[in-house]
Amino acid sequence: MSFFRAILYFLREASVNLLRSWKISVLAVATIAVSLFLGGFVLLLSLNGSRLIDRWKSEAKIVVYLAPGREPEDLPEIRDLAVRAPWTEEVEAVTTEEAARRFRRSFPSVEDLIEDWEQEPLPASFEIAFDLQRIREPEYGEWLQSLEGRPGVVAVDDDRDWVRQLETALRIVTGIGLLVGTILIGAAVFTIASVIRLTAHLYREEIAVMRLVGATEFFIRGPFYLEGLIQGTLGGLTALAALYLAYGGLSPEGARSFLGGILWSRFLPPIHQIGLVGLGAFAGLFGALISLRKEEI
Amino acid sequence: MICFYHVTKRFAGDQIALRDVSFEIESGEMAFLTGPSGAGKSTLLRLIFRGDVPTTGQILVNGRNVASIPRRKIPFLRRSIGVVFQDFRLIPRKTVFENVTYLPRILGYDRREQRKLAYGTLRRVGLAHRMSSFPRELSGGEQQRVAIARALINDPEILVADEPTGNLDPELAEEIFQLFREIHLRGTTLLIATHDLERIRATAHDRLLRLQDGRLVGDRMRGEGDPEETRSLPVP
Repeated sequence: MSFFRAILYFLREASVNLLRSWKISVLAVATIAVSLFLGGFVLLLSLNGSRLIDRWKSEAKIVVYLAPGREPEDLPEIRDLAVRAPWTEEVEAVTTEEAARRFRRSFPSVEDLIEDWEQEPLPASFEIAFDLQRIREPEYGEWLQSLEGRPGVVAVDDDRDWVRQLETALRIVTGIGLLVGTILIGAAVFTIASVIRLTAHLYREEIAVMRLVGATEFFIRGPFYLEGLIQGTLGGLTALAALYLAYGGLSPEGARSFLGGILWSRFLPPIHQIGLVGLGAFAGLFGALISLRKEEI
Repeated sequence: MICFYHVTKRFAGDQIALRDVSFEIESGEMAFLTGPSGAGKSTLLRLIFRGDVPTTGQILVNGRNVASIPRRKIPFLRRSIGVVFQDFRLIPRKTVFENVTYLPRILGYDRREQRKLAYGTLRRVGLAHRMSSFPRELSGGEQQRVAIARALINDPEILVADEPTGNLDPELAEEIFQLFREIHLRGTTLLIATHDLERIRATAHDRLLRLQDGRLVGDRMRGEGDPEETRSLPVP
């Protein structure tokens, strides 16, 4: 039998198997779909979160807050110290007036909060943009300490701290998601293996006849392998479609929220979409392989 | 065509099904294998189409050592051997045509070729008009004839049958034996296990092998007396 004709035969037999036990096949596809949906969701979160963190990282600054009543032009040595550091790219002096202007621009609805204060409510500062690649420890830590210890400086705020915390949080969420996804994939593989073992059991008499008349193992097992592959692929496609619908449906609302901004900024790239469906197909095939591994079906 | 050399088959628990069995069946012979239930007839037949392997000894089928044939080559051995069982082993949800054409499908024949082969083979067993029927719509004799057609569709060199009339009444059994005679006349080597001595007496044959407790206790050529007499042959 030619390979093409064998594939057609496998396809026909696998379709009949799937239709004959459609309820249990739907269960297997649904299990794969749920696990891959969760996996895809975590992937989406992780990719968009990483992208966002990378952007924040590139925009991260060190802000050196000055004591009340002090303006940047009063403390040129701070600017000099900042400019001399090898990682510094740019130093911007923010006066108390500029700080207030920024506040009013960012929070117009509460701008009167700072109107009636006798002294300037927002401190002046130096904003230091830096190149992450050029930062070296421990020199960087020592440099920050020297800034903090300067007279006229009340606080030094390093954006990297909260970016690091976000990265850790994202890693934890991704890890938990992947763990749950892996467990669910395992469950899906087990379900598919059980479905195929059951189908093989239902067909045991026919398989015995086929073996008796001289069918090869490839010919006997082929339809079952294809059945697993189809179930897995359908599970992957269902997960991808559900993920896309969720992304499309929640996008306008979700994009306005903080979490939505992280989640819904961009859908999975094509290579990840293919990977998700491919993972489903692999899980299905793997389920079929392990279900028929030892059995003299 | 079929050679057994000192074949012993031992199952788990030290149960011995065959003990040092040796015989040869020539090409084109029609041989009967008889003996009481549990004598080892079915085991012997299973060894021929590599449904099992002997514990010791050698089995040659068409010059191939069946005991040492690689697993992947077993299907090719089986394509040259037709097998018929007492319980027909037809698939109830498949039509007669589908039941008969397993091997042509495996070999990649297209639908038209399959129909042609099925028609020709079913005509040989007198069932060409029942191609679209399901097994449940056939009598026991007809079902067995479908099973024989399935075994014959590839024109095998050897046909082995294990109690093929065990589930049939005498008239239907006679029909099946008549069919075996016709198959034999076309040159196929037949080995039929049965304990129906009446039927053996009534059927022209070349060989009669008798098993008892796993031993070959009788091996009689054509015209060498009555089958009953084989019982008195000395145990080797």
